[in-house]
Amino acid sequence: MIVSMKILIDLIESFMVIGLSACGGGLVTIPLIQHEMVNVRHWLVSNDIAKILSIAQMTPGPIAINAATFVGFKIAGIIGSVMATLAVIFPSLIILITISSFLKNIKQNEAVIKINQGIQAGVLSLILFAIWSFGSTVISSTLDLFVTIAAFLMLLFLKNKIHPVLVIVLCGIVGLIIY
Amino acid sequence: MSTHQKEICTHSIEELPNNISLAKIFWTFFRIGLFTFGGGLAMGTVIRYELASKNKWVTDDEFLSEFATATVIPGSIAVNIAYLQGYRFRGKIGAATAVMGTILPSFITIFAIAYFGLPYFNHPKVVAFFRGSALAVAGQLLFTGFIFGKKLLVKWKNIVICLISLLMATVLGLHPIWSLITAAILDYFLFTKNNHTSVDPDC
Repeated sequence: MIVSMKILIDLIESFMVIGLSACGGGLVTIPLIQHEMVNVRHWLVSNDIAKILSIAQMTPGPIAINAATFVGFKIAGIIGSVMATLAVIFPSLIILITISSFLKNIKQNEAVIKINQGIQAGVLSLILFAIWSFGSTVISSTLDLFVTIAAFLMLLFLKNKIHPVLVIVLCGIVGLIIY
Repeated sequence: MSTHQKEICTHSIEELPNNISLAKIFWTFFRIGLFTFGGGLAMGTVIRYELASKNKWVTDDEFLSEFATATVIPGSIAVNIAYLQGYRFRGKIGAATAVMGTILPSFITIFAIAYFGLPYFNHPKVVAFFRGSALAVAGQLLFTGFIFGKKLLVKWKNIVICLISLLMATVLGLHPIWSLITAAILDYFLFTKNNHTSVDPDC
């Protein structure tokens, strides 16, 4: 696959933004990935996002890295896949390399702890945003809504008895049967 | 932050085990990367087990204090904690080894799926499966929002910050990163008194 330099640079830039803003881990990256890939770059349509995020949640590892590897491959092949994966961890590595020498102070720094609290509220707002944006993408019928709520209730009431991955696979099988 | 935690922070790197080989670091973090699904906070439990309970490379308190740092720093929590622990064991080279170990399993898995699976992505059966599984991801988002909301939306301050951030992403249509930046700025400048909630990897 011949990949233009422009696409590679855009890919790296996008995933560095995602890596930098992925605070509080995991699901908060969903609106970020959706926004960057669909609205900013127009590389993917919302349905691709649904597939990629399902795969990311079913396979081991952090969701941002999984999404980076997958989207990178889809957009620019092997080189894209490696570049996107490195780009997504790059911002945190730079921050860690810079602060690891005086880390003991950071831990006790009230300002950092305080900001982290505020960020948690921001993370919640992004999760709510993701419920709306991702939900409106994947839920298109009453039946869809029913399956979503069933998954939610399973997670809520069987919290320690059922692995989240199992819920995803189960819903996939339900999808195979009903769609 | 409590005096207890300050005490933990005074430990110096010299006191810690330095005979841990790079290969051992790599395989430990490779296992962590391989067996943790969903990432983020869920990984905390597994990492804690591998490093503190099984190998006894760190104490539980040391781990929790570094876990708190890992959540404050942007980016994947798993990668951040791998860096911090790797750095603690063997400096920068240890950090690089731990990070590589953590991301390789997901990279290999996803790469294989993309490489071999992509041509079949429009097959009706595959589409049907993903239509169902995506609904579970939506359910998972609902669940996380519910748990997070229950914990955070008990304080007026958090409700205000959350609403403003949400408006920025929805009504104003700004990039989601602005929601986070605004939340941090609002919290720091507008609300001076607040208590620190601790980070629990089991949540």
